[in-house]
Amino acid sequence: MRNYENLVIVKPTLTAEEIQANISAIEEVITSNGGEIAARDAMGMRKLAYPLGKNERGYFHVIYYSVAPSAINEIERRFRINENLLRFVTIKYDTNREVTAWNQLVQKAQKKATQPAGEAKVEAEEVVIPAALEEDAE
Amino acid sequence: MAERRKYKKRFCKYCEAKVDFMDYKDVAALRFSLSERYKIMPRRLTGNCKRHQDMIATVIKRARAAALVPYTVTRKTVVTAPFENLK
Repeated sequence: MRNYENLVIVKPTLTAEEIQANISAIEEVITSNGGEIAARDAMGMRKLAYPLGKNERGYFHVIYYSVAPSAINEIERRFRINENLLRFVTIKYDTNREVTAWNQLVQKAQKKATQPAGEAKVEAEEVVIPAALEEDAE
Repeated sequence: MAERRKYKKRFCKYCEAKVDFMDYKDVAALRFSLSERYKIMPRRLTGNCKRHQDMIATVIKRARAAALVPYTVTRKTVVTAPFENLK
């Protein structure tokens, strides 16, 4: 098992649900080839530095995973078939220094993934408080 | 010569910050080693050491492949604010 990182750019013309469906299909390709997804980082819709097939924007998604090196060929082949993918970049993390960097990146991505949930909780509490005040007024 | 005077040869900034690994997704950090036209700045102008120059070169090339950084900026494809979508 070796650590990898994949950045995929999904077509911006799709709807939000279609983009999510595409990303789950991409992750399914990795897991079906024996990969273990450690973390994912949705960078969201961004402007591209140069147009890719007449598209000026793209939906960026990063997946950190570990898989046997022989499976990478198959994963990339499946990515090339997918027409909704504008571009993908596979990075190998092999040396000790790169593996520690990979672990840090995974932790960072996991933190980022949990933080919006925390914000959502705060919002939920804010919603609860006015309701309680209204009950007091009654 | 005028340009050489503008960038005085100095220490390696990455060595001073003890950078062991660079992330190609962190575009703002790559800006230091990129020229106005998004060329990779030579070592004699930035003062980077050989080791970090090699690292930054591969990282910039990765970022170019991922459409995070442009390959070229010509008069036809002027980028007014290329990092406007950065937070």
